[in-house]
Amino acid sequence: MKRRLPLLIVLATGVFGALAFFVPHAAVRDVDLTMRNDVLRIIAAFGLILGVGSILRHHLTKIQRRAEHWGYSWVTIIMLFASAVVGLFGGIDPRTPGVLPTRIGSFSFHIQTLYTSVMVPLAATMFSMLAFYMASAAYRAFRARNLEATLLLIAAFVLMLGAVPLGSLLVRPLPDFAEWILTVPNTAAKRGILFGVGLGTIATSLKIILGIERGWLGGGS
Amino acid sequence: MSIWDRLQAVDRRWVYLVIWVVVALPLIFPFRIRPVTSPPVEKLFDHVDSMPEDKALVLSVDFTPDTQAELFPMLVALLRHGFADGRRVGVLAMQVQGLGLAEEALTQVAHEFNSRAKSHDDSVVNGEDYVFWGWTTPEVTVMLGMGERITNVFPVDYYGTKTAELSIMNHLRNYDDIGLLVSIAGSAIPLSWINYAQTQFGVRLACGITAVSAADFYPYLNSGQFVGMLSGMKGAAEYEELLDAKLLRRGTEWSLRRRATEAMSSQTTAHLAIMAFIVLGNIAFFITRAKRKP
Repeated sequence: MKRRLPLLIVLATGVFGALAFFVPHAAVRDVDLTMRNDVLRIIAAFGLILGVGSILRHHLTKIQRRAEHWGYSWVTIIMLFASAVVGLFGGIDPRTPGVLPTRIGSFSFHIQTLYTSVMVPLAATMFSMLAFYMASAAYRAFRARNLEATLLLIAAFVLMLGAVPLGSLLVRPLPDFAEWILTVPNTAAKRGILFGVGLGTIATSLKIILGIERGWLGGGS
Repeated sequence: MSIWDRLQAVDRRWVYLVIWVVVALPLIFPFRIRPVTSPPVEKLFDHVDSMPEDKALVLSVDFTPDTQAELFPMLVALLRHGFADGRRVGVLAMQVQGLGLAEEALTQVAHEFNSRAKSHDDSVVNGEDYVFWGWTTPEVTVMLGMGERITNVFPVDYYGTKTAELSIMNHLRNYDDIGLLVSIAGSAIPLSWINYAQTQFGVRLACGITAVSAADFYPYLNSGQFVGMLSGMKGAAEYEELLDAKLLRRGTEWSLRRRATEAMSSQTTAHLAIMAFIVLGNIAFFITRAKRKP
């Protein structure tokens, strides 16, 4: 029963989810609306509880065992609760104050302030580091060793120049050529891949709905 | 060890230093490069421009701060276009981290318009001219639910006001009232909009995406599922160019800050530096390989 019940729920909801797209009957539509607007949201809310529980357990275990960089786990936990409390009770910004005082003199720490002053620079810094790694990797590994690599190199050059205004100043038709590469050969290849991915997704979904693929149940063999 | 061998084994920190210099210097000492518009950007601009007056522009902020540099200028440019045309604008976020970015963009652009407004008609008012629905989950609920009744999906807006009480919502009931929905994303969320919102309800879609992921979206642009596309910083700069030209034609010269156009100089030098690295690396590779051959 422990395994059959989840399989039955997946079978019923999977078949119904697909059916609702093709049957415009009012009864089917009503059930579909309830499933999407209520049931899915309840499941998502439980997902949030699981997520917070999981991250807490992971970091508390690290702290308990004094694992490598365990101090950062305190930063994660403190920020998790601090941002949640400020976000829930502190108002959005100085124009929309909440019940919690989030201003000391001219210094405010509303959720929007925390977001723009901490979250945005941190995330942008992490992503911008890609430029350095890409440049280093291009210098070290991007070699015209054979015909395929040479074609890739030429395409990369055209696209990189086409992606900046200088390209059209140097060679007027270059942006058009870059656009052609993306529109014709790239799209042709992508469509082939997408057909494969689409068929694979349908096959895997059917296997899960029909209970043939049970890896998602966990528990190993 | 010859110079070519040394070039092949150069410390990667030198590469990092060069990239830092070529990115930072043009930002400190900018030089203006006028972007040349491309067909996907022109199509998107023309569609927003030619939508029926009663149709709203909806912007889905589906990106997070990591891709802010590329995607935020798109959001600002599209908001400016919508407000400049006096169009109803709806904003939502599909990623919870996008909420702050949407709020920042709305505050900035609303201030730009309201500080220059001479009458109530010129100003942009929350709840009347635009609405910020905020975020809810899961995405399939939002995308399918908005086809029936938006107020059911978002009972309250981002600021906690009941959406049913906002006057704009009388004209913005579901996808039928939306002329174009633009998903600005650093992920595959625009494809989910196609799968759920367009396939079932036929809403017109466009996307704004990072340059690195542009190739993935071209099949959908070619098939007409996206009416247009903004690709990376260049796409945003091209949109800014088109909007500026339109406002100038109309006699509006506000000299608003064009962040994407400003960043074009930095992006140009960075691309040139990377290309120079590739050329240099290949020259060193071929010379050392030729020397090793007996």
